[in-house]
Amino acid sequence: MGVTIFSIMLVLLLLGFPMMIPLIVGAFVGFVTLFGGLGQLETMIQQMMAGIRPASLIAVPMFIFAADIMTRGQSAGRLIDMVMAFVGHLRGGLAISTAAACTMFGAVSGSTQATVVAIGGPLRPRMQKAGYGDSFILALIVNASDIAFLIPPSIGMIIYGVVSNTSIAELFIAGIGPGLLILVLFSIYAWIYAARTGVPTEDKADWGLRLRAVRAALWPLGFPAIIIGGIYGGIFSPTEAAAACVLYALIIEMVVFRELDVAGVYRTAKSTGLITAVVFILVAAGAAFSWVISFAQIPQAILSGVGIDEMGQIGVLFVISIAFFIGCMFVDPIVVILILVPIFAPVVSSVGLDPVLVGTLITLQVAIGSATPPFGCDIFTAIAVFKRPYWEVIRGTPPFIVILLGVSVLLIFFPQIALFLRDLAFAD
Amino acid sequence: ETWRYAFEEALDEVQGIFAQKFKEEVEANSDHEIQLFPYGTLGESADTMEQAQAGILQFVDQSPGFTGSLIPEAQVFFVPYLLPTDTETLASFFRNSEAINGMFPELYAEQGLELLTMFPEGEVAITTKEPFASPDELDEVKVRTMTNPLLVESYKAFGATPTPLPWGEVYGALQTNIIQGQENPMFFIESTKMYEVTDHVTMIGHNNFTTAVMANKDFYDGLPEEDRQVIENAIDVAFDHIIEYQKGLHETSIEKIKEAKPSMTFTTLTEEQRAPFREAAQEVEARFIEMTGEGGQAILDQMKKDLAEAQEASSS
Amino acid sequence: MAACPRLRALLRTTALSDIPSSSQTQSQTDTTSTDDAVETAYVSTLPGVLGTLDVGIARLESVLLAGGVLLMAVNTIANVVGRYVFQSSLFFSEELNRILIIVITFAGISYAARQGRHIRMSAIYDALPGRARKGLMIVIALVTAGFMFLLCWYSAQYLLTQAGRGRVLPALQIPVWTTLIIVPVGFFMTGLQYLLTAIKNIISRDIYLSTVVLEGYEEDEMEV
Ligand code: NA
Ligand code: NA
Repeated sequence: MGVTIFSIMLVLLLLGFPMMIPLIVGAFVGFVTLFGGLGQLETMIQQMMAGIRPASLIAVPMFIFAADIMTRGQSAGRLIDMVMAFVGHLRGGLAISTAAACTMFGAVSGSTQATVVAIGGPLRPRMQKAGYGDSFILALIVNASDIAFLIPPSIGMIIYGVVSNTSIAELFIAGIGPGLLILVLFSIYAWIYAARTGVPTEDKADWGLRLRAVRAALWPLGFPAIIIGGIYGGIFSPTEAAAACVLYALIIEMVVFRELDVAGVYRTAKSTGLITAVVFILVAAGAAFSWVISFAQIPQAILSGVGIDEMGQIGVLFVISIAFFIGCMFVDPIVVILILVPIFAPVVSSVGLDPVLVGTLITLQVAIGSATPPFGCDIFTAIAVFKRPYWEVIRGTPPFIVILLGVSVLLIFFPQIALFLRDLAFAD
Repeated sequence: ETWRYAFEEALDEVQGIFAQKFKEEVEANSDHEIQLFPYGTLGESADTMEQAQAGILQFVDQSPGFTGSLIPEAQVFFVPYLLPTDTETLASFFRNSEAINGMFPELYAEQGLELLTMFPEGEVAITTKEPFASPDELDEVKVRTMTNPLLVESYKAFGATPTPLPWGEVYGALQTNIIQGQENPMFFIESTKMYEVTDHVTMIGHNNFTTAVMANKDFYDGLPEEDRQVIENAIDVAFDHIIEYQKGLHETSIEKIKEAKPSMTFTTLTEEQRAPFREAAQEVEARFIEMTGEGGQAILDQMKKDLAEAQEASSS
Repeated sequence: MAACPRLRALLRTTALSDIPSSSQTQSQTDTTSTDDAVETAYVSTLPGVLGTLDVGIARLESVLLAGGVLLMAVNTIANVVGRYVFQSSLFFSEELNRILIIVITFAGISYAARQGRHIRMSAIYDALPGRARKGLMIVIALVTAGFMFLLCWYSAQYLLTQAGRGRVLPALQIPVWTTLIIVPVGFFMTGLQYLLTAIKNIISRDIYLSTVVLEGYEEDEMEV
């Protein structure tokens, strides 16, 4: 059944059907096959509704809304001007700043989709203007946003910790090393890209200019303060921080900068709603599809044929990585974790692997999967927000995927990348 | 035939242990196979419940707290200080209670479900960042609760600020101090690492987490007598097993937590200290009657009667 | 395909992507926001009363979208204020947001279908010659419409089942089924949009992504 469904989905996808159709048809064929007819399609609807139920999803429209207000107004421009005053003269400076901002924002907000919008939204036009190619920019935004899975707080790690009975605090610390390593490698790639394609650098700004840029950005600097200070300071949940950003954005753009009127707010809200709907219907359809995979116990069937019990530690780590990588290409990462972790649990303990290392590796695959074609929420979000064709959004992805897979392999052979900080922090 | 069984916890948590035992028994005594679906693999609690009602799942484990929106009377398990803390009494109560074995099955049957059994999962403990021994000390402490009106009411009565939050956000919210407390049985506090983000565990004895196992009613009624017997026997074996399994589970969980975090404190409030909490709980009981009317009153009265009998039986 | 450049210019898109921030307006001043442009210029392709109805529905969808987002912001902010200022969370906040997400998603999929904004992977499609593209677009629109109507039917069934069970939202104490009313409606309106798109493609010379949007993404600079 699995093969048939995947084939149909792939054909529909390639023919140019709206992305929701391959997912809906995949789920539909699954339900009809499993229950011998149309009798249980109500459960398909139930799971679609379940897909858009998690409260944490609220952060997505809220951050989109805030970012859209900032971008239509002056906040985003002023913030970027400030960053440029400091890094504009460095080769690849803007790209590296973008990657760092995506990582930071994604880590704190807990929503990679929101990151694509909130950081990618304002920075993409500026990078285009600076001379970067659009496919490079889009791939950078999507992939750098997904590093956030590894930086605490990470919902994927929390779920893994609960399912596998592993210390979440240790997982959080273990994620930082690989996360930063990836950021550094992305930055090196951005630097090489900028050098090779001859992205021009700006003149180095003097300190007077920098000071002026900082002063101009004083109000908008409230945004990082709300997000970082608010969340790590324990004032807001990520969702609430997003709503606070909306409020703050409305105040400064309507009252302080007087850039936005009521009609403008209404239009912005509508455009936010549209982007949200286009992405969430895919989340909904994806959830129904994930349910079919889970109910039919397809992963169990595939993995029982792999012969994992005879492998050593390295072999097991490779199988786990591949399983999660493939799973996350098609299915919601949370569901993948919930289904696969218990399947692998016995072999992980029988070969004596550190569950923290396994968790870090799995989280890394989840991050890769979310940015990897064909199905990936952050790809969808980028398409919806930037209105660029699917192909163009994913065209620049390969170098990033190569880096991410490279880090996966490094992590398998050099677990200290993840465990070094953990051992340091939890040394008795 | 393949039967499917979904529950609300991981495979190695209490509901999972029960399900595994049930599976083992059924498979040993019949040709049927049982597939287990732990938490989240087929959706949330409300989803699996509906799937059981639709007959997609043959068996489902759902705690009455989540069943409250479907069967309001089931919220009786959130009336504080109703259930005893003593495990012997509790087991005898669940085995013999007329409310549980006579009245609730009828209510579940109206929803297309055959109630197979209810069992306790352990005393609910509260983990917080600051220690407390009285309602006053809970003032302005935000405690996460499930989105359940009665539970919200309870924590208001206890003097805290109840903060309904989806389970997925609890760890992060405790870590960043958005909330300062949450409640759960000890094994769950251990397995979900709640101790990593709080510092004190307090047992005020207000509740024992209860869960229920059901079958789809049409499926169950359509089974041949021998299959029904297999299921009933398996449920009985699994019930005894889970009661036995839980003996000392509370204590081993505490040991595990202490080992992982020696600074964690564990406090059981004395009867005297519990008095003001008990007092406050009166209004929650009144609220339960208000919400559920005569049906609720009848269940509550019967439960109190059953409990008195269980208490008597175990003290004699 | 005889793509009219002026219409294309009108349809050139701006979302966050290319709305100029005040300090860098030169390069992009020629863009107009699609959402704004289409709204002011939205003319139904249906005749007479049906056309008026169609415009009315489009307007309603847009109000639900914008209103949903605004209300969600107000609700979430109020919850924070409640917790810090009045020491009490809004007990219904989470449930209200859940309802709003449903409203936004299902009002939005129909609105997005109207605007030709649903995400698709068009690489192979784009490479096809005009006639094949047109044929394929008709098939795509019809199949999509079919599945939307199918989901409309089953979501209506699901709604009725919910109504029969009488489940209520724990905090708001309103029946669950009332929060689902927009689901079949949204699927139906989306199906209708795709059906009309198929008809539009059959009767006219150009190729349409939706009843009012001609195919073709804006041609921005390409990466070399
Ligand atoms: Na994170
Ligand atoms: Na993917």
